[in-house]
Amino acid sequence: MTNHTLSLAWRLFRHETKRGELTIILLAIILSVASVLSLSLFSERLKSALTEKSAEFIAADRVLDSNKPVDLAWIEKAQQMGLNTAHQTYARSMVFANEQMDLVDLRAADKGYPLKGVVKVAEQPFSPGTAINQLPNSGEAWLESQLFQTLAINLGDNIEVGDKVFKVTKVLTEVPDAGFSVFGGDPKVLISKQDLSATNVEGPGSRINYSYFFTGESDVLDEYYEWLEPQLDRELHDWDSIEDDESGIGRAVGRAGKYFLLASLLAIVLAAVSIAVAAQRYSMRHYDPVAIMKTLGAPKKMVQQIYLLQILFITILGLLIGVVLGFLIQQLVVAAIADKVDVSLDVWHWKPLIIAIFTGSVCAVLFSLYPLMKLFSVSPLRVLRRDLGANLSSRLIQFLASGGAIFLLMWAYSQNIEVSAILFVSGIILVISLLAMTFGLIWVGRKLGQGKMGAWQLAWARIHRRAMDNSVQLISFAVTIMLLLIVLVMRNDMVQQWQNQLPQGTPNYFLVNISQAQQPNLQQHFADNQVVIEKFYPVVRGRFVAVNDEKVRTAVSKEDPDEQNRGRDGLGREANLTWSNTLQKGTEVVKGKWLGDNDDSDTAEQRPFEVSIEEGIAERMDLSLGDKLTFNIGSEIVDLKVTSIRNVNWQSMQPNFFFVIEPRALKSFIPTYISSFNLPTERKADITELMRPFANVTLIDVDARINQLRNIVDQVSLAVEFILVLVLAAGALVLIAQVQASMDERQQELAILRTLGAKGTLIRASVVFEFIIIGVVAGAMAAAATEFSLYMLQTQIFDMPANWHIEYWFIAPIVGALVVGILGALGCWRLLSLNTSHLLRQMV
Amino acid sequence: MTPTTMIKTNGISKTVTTTQGQLQILKPISFDVKAGESVAIVGASGSGKSTLLSLLAGLDEVSEGEIYIDGQAMQNMDEEQRAQLRGAKVGFIFQSFMLVQSLTALENIMLPAEIAGHGDAKKRAMDILELVGLEHRASHYPNQLSGGEQQRVAIARAFISEPKILFADEPTGNLDAANSDKIEKLLFELNQNSHTTLVLVTHDSKLADKCQRQLHMQAGELTEVFATSVSEQAAQKVG
Repeated sequence: MTNHTLSLAWRLFRHETKRGELTIILLAIILSVASVLSLSLFSERLKSALTEKSAEFIAADRVLDSNKPVDLAWIEKAQQMGLNTAHQTYARSMVFANEQMDLVDLRAADKGYPLKGVVKVAEQPFSPGTAINQLPNSGEAWLESQLFQTLAINLGDNIEVGDKVFKVTKVLTEVPDAGFSVFGGDPKVLISKQDLSATNVEGPGSRINYSYFFTGESDVLDEYYEWLEPQLDRELHDWDSIEDDESGIGRAVGRAGKYFLLASLLAIVLAAVSIAVAAQRYSMRHYDPVAIMKTLGAPKKMVQQIYLLQILFITILGLLIGVVLGFLIQQLVVAAIADKVDVSLDVWHWKPLIIAIFTGSVCAVLFSLYPLMKLFSVSPLRVLRRDLGANLSSRLIQFLASGGAIFLLMWAYSQNIEVSAILFVSGIILVISLLAMTFGLIWVGRKLGQGKMGAWQLAWARIHRRAMDNSVQLISFAVTIMLLLIVLVMRNDMVQQWQNQLPQGTPNYFLVNISQAQQPNLQQHFADNQVVIEKFYPVVRGRFVAVNDEKVRTAVSKEDPDEQNRGRDGLGREANLTWSNTLQKGTEVVKGKWLGDNDDSDTAEQRPFEVSIEEGIAERMDLSLGDKLTFNIGSEIVDLKVTSIRNVNWQSMQPNFFFVIEPRALKSFIPTYISSFNLPTERKADITELMRPFANVTLIDVDARINQLRNIVDQVSLAVEFILVLVLAAGALVLIAQVQASMDERQQELAILRTLGAKGTLIRASVVFEFIIIGVVAGAMAAAATEFSLYMLQTQIFDMPANWHIEYWFIAPIVGALVVGILGALGCWRLLSLNTSHLLRQMV
Repeated sequence: MTPTTMIKTNGISKTVTTTQGQLQILKPISFDVKAGESVAIVGASGSGKSTLLSLLAGLDEVSEGEIYIDGQAMQNMDEEQRAQLRGAKVGFIFQSFMLVQSLTALENIMLPAEIAGHGDAKKRAMDILELVGLEHRASHYPNQLSGGEQQRVAIARAFISEPKILFADEPTGNLDAANSDKIEKLLFELNQNSHTTLVLVTHDSKLADKCQRQLHMQAGELTEVFATSVSEQAAQKVG
């Protein structure tokens, strides 16, 4: 490359920047870098902050669960690598006091536990807890509130666990890794790890689980897992992080993470679209200079170097401005929500910066490649024949190049081929539909554009004549609208679902073991205290003994290492059986038919008793429709036939059951009842008074857990709102860029119309009509493509039920028409404010 | 070919492919232009003048026949070689001026010299800008100049690399009468001073008359060659 080439390129770049020739393409690059940087930096910061916060729910960054103590060398290795470790043993054991007994979730923790989150204790049962930075001393035990009821003890009393006596010194109100299932939970007893062996609860046949907690840098954790994985036995060990957590928190964080990823991906696509539009315009505006240079003897290589250098200069400038702007936007957002999100957002991440620069450069280079190739192919003959354009013309190459580039960027960025493919395929379907629509428009335009030349006819005539040329522009409008719709609707559906999960008034206390006789009194007493009791569920306890006459002892007592199910199953001994004729709210039958729907009543007395089972237990115990289950209830054996399998939302904070049996099967048994109620946190002190007349009824307090869950969901929702605003802003900028670029193409026609004496109002109205028509079409196509993409995204990626969004079929075309129409009118205003001779001169 | 022949054409023609099939837009033509001679190609719109000019200037390829520019056979050259030849020996002036809008007047003039790799492009450009009387407009962009001024810049750009041949396509076509006169005067002055061969395409008979010879084109054929110099008005039929 000669100095002349370099200086010529630099001079052209300098002048063109000064004269505003490069504004659009520069703006597109700045936009791509700024939006990707701000979005991914913000989401990265928020994600790590949320993960940090959510990590409290498993008390660590990673947990290794095991049915047997693990090799100590594993823990030493982790410590050598600089990780923090802690250990806790879980056992299900009986506790005795005052001749009362109860089954408890015994937890023996070593110092260091919890690595994340806090343990909270109180001095009174059912009173709010305060964080404590220590664990029970040797010989001491901390018990959950309900145990004080069932064992009839007070602080300072002794309890027996296995062979050891403990003094009860605190009320345990909260442990971070409590899990979120309401009924699973046997009440917890926390003791020091050094006392565990003295209890002798560890022994053959006992249900013991060992959890090893780890915290540290995520890459060190990954490295450690790489080392550990080959030594793990899938039957015995389970490696968990909060992302694997199936609880409400895990899902909310997981979905929010996917949403951020989606939003950033869409921002990349938006940026790519705007660069493609701008590059096309840039290339067309440089046909003349290229033809002139070639005529004056410039070799092709020189022309190529000059323009590649220009793109390089523009890219570097765009990257610099984009990075600064993106950082500022992100700081503004962080500052705006700092007081609402109680997580630190100050951690700096390099990855988003690298991604943003990579995206900006790849977009700038790949999307300007085809327009540049066209530019290089311009013949010098254009100096004599002005109508000559580029010699290279292949929409296929263009679509392949830009489509491939978008797909690669999405894939590289998301490292999720599924998300990328879904968005990409939707995009292709949109493009094909739009092309079909364009042909439709040619046909319609031919009809509508005839007759006296009013603004309306002029608009149609223009669309008709330029329908093929406009297709790229139409597609880019539609894609932009579609991407905005996806981000908007996803956010609405997701936040809605979170809110539905925990509506105001969600029960935060559960009552267990209510006798039939107590039921009316309890209801009355609570009503007198302005507390509404939810539905009463009858419960009998039954031992699950056989499937199809085959004893299940081994199958059901098999250790279940799954964190969520640690306490819930209760199948080793007894299960809670309820009966009902109606399907519980929030559950649905996924296989078979609901109880009683199978036969007509004539044969009802002869047919076997029906049972509906929960999906998870069916899978875990390999049960299917038609299986015969045998329960031992009291002293009777009851045979039940599985006639339906239900999907149960365990996060619903409603009493949920593995087994629901038809009422006639259990009519000879005397049940106890389960119910729930909501009591505002500020009325917590009333609990003792409320429960005083019902000493035998067990109260389970999930208020703290619900508040934790709601808090996280609120913060994630807020974060999602901000991401939405950012993407909407990016989308609006892209639309402006597109309208501006297309306005350029209209300049010549406007100048001619003006010269011929057309009134400003006619021209303006015709341009506005044209944009309105384009906006309506783009909006309608975007609504269709959005519906398809959302269905795929929600069912395949977000694991959500998919809905129709009929309202957007109306909203999208209207908003499309309004936004594109207004932008068109503004752009047109600018052109018409110039005088005709200026317009004509610009055309030369 | 004698050394004094600057352009020699031998049966050159141009055929293009249209939707209706092949169309010959330039029938076979042969003529010579001597070094330092000024020749006007005249004819009605669509008669093939500009096509002929584009072939002579190497902006387009001939379908048949041979063109020699200063002894070099252009029909055997590819686009790159023709660009090199243009850069070395040819200057251009166009009806629509064809200045690069984002370069100043001075930079537009420097462009051919820079493309050719001359180290003193700026000095040369300033000298020639002075010659065309626009030194005070050096840093103006084309859209800040009048039509006449733009064409003067274009003329200056054409002469900066001291071309052996100057091709002009309707050089006064976009100008009013007063400006046309000035431009014509300037063009012929520079042409004479630098002994350049001038080939111009024009509608303007007054401008054509100032050339030593006129080639008349009609429907893609060269019909007549006039010698306009002094008393010889004898017309030759060209077969």
